[in-house]
Amino acid sequence: MLHTQLAWYIAGPVMGLCVVACRLLFNARLGVTGGFSEIIGKVMARSLNFDWRGWFLIGVVLGGTVFALAAGGPDFHGYGWLTRHISDTALIAPILVVAGVAIGYGAKLSGGCTSGNGLSGNATLSPASMVATATFFLTAIAVSFIIKALV
Amino acid sequence: MRTRGAGLLIGVVFGVMLSWSGMTAPDVIRGALLFEHGYLFLFMASSMLVATAGSWLVRRAGARALFTGQPVSWVRDRPERRHVVGALIFGLGWGVADACPGPIATQLGQGIAWGLWTLAGVVIGVTLYLRRQQVETEPATDPATATDPARHPLQPASG
Repeated sequence: MLHTQLAWYIAGPVMGLCVVACRLLFNARLGVTGGFSEIIGKVMARSLNFDWRGWFLIGVVLGGTVFALAAGGPDFHGYGWLTRHISDTALIAPILVVAGVAIGYGAKLSGGCTSGNGLSGNATLSPASMVATATFFLTAIAVSFIIKALV
Repeated sequence: MRTRGAGLLIGVVFGVMLSWSGMTAPDVIRGALLFEHGYLFLFMASSMLVATAGSWLVRRAGARALFTGQPVSWVRDRPERRHVVGALIFGLGWGVADACPGPIATQLGQGIAWGLWTLAGVVIGVTLYLRRQQVETEPATDPATATDPARHPLQPASG
């Protein structure tokens, strides 16, 4: 990470307030996967008439741009353990694509990602979201330790 | 129009916070998942606390959603097999790429070229899911499936 990390006790609560804002404005869950799903679903139906969830995702992307412009560049170079430990860069792209498929499909199947289930779903104390959150955190932790042992 | 503008604005705040908290960087996610630093867990916990307290306060106050006019309320889903299986698949991808959909979006915004591969994967994964849903909800062949409320959640799944 190249830039100073904002204190967790500011970044976390502000993101929590984004979840509350979606409740107060739309009576709906905030979710990044919901945004992907809205845009992809509409494009599949040959439409660009995205609802607020699609525009939310566009906003998240723009938020990254705003940050990079203000900070004078992106937050990191390379790509984590992949570019550090895999010398053949031709292997990294397929690994990221497969991981991306798992992220997209898995999030849809379980009803949300880290924001939709992890923040918004848990905020309603939804048992399904709690089970999903515990499962994906434990899985990602296990995968990280397995990768650490292998590389 | 106003709903889209509001969605966009909340997205920008969300994206700036995701970037400023370092969540766009795969090494930050990885360091947390390996318990090397506690930032992500404190960040996530404080976010959940505010989201939960705020949501319940808004509902308790009997507020009506500004754009829909309906009283703030929600459905709490019972855990099903798909929540566990889906989260397992999601967790595998997250642990390998060290990015979930929010950071994948902010990587795109920051101009991180490697992130385009993960993004392509997410688009393929979500498309596969939506296609499968379309096939499953085709009512002509299997009316029993088509009327199963579990396959037709009233609230759109989001994440």
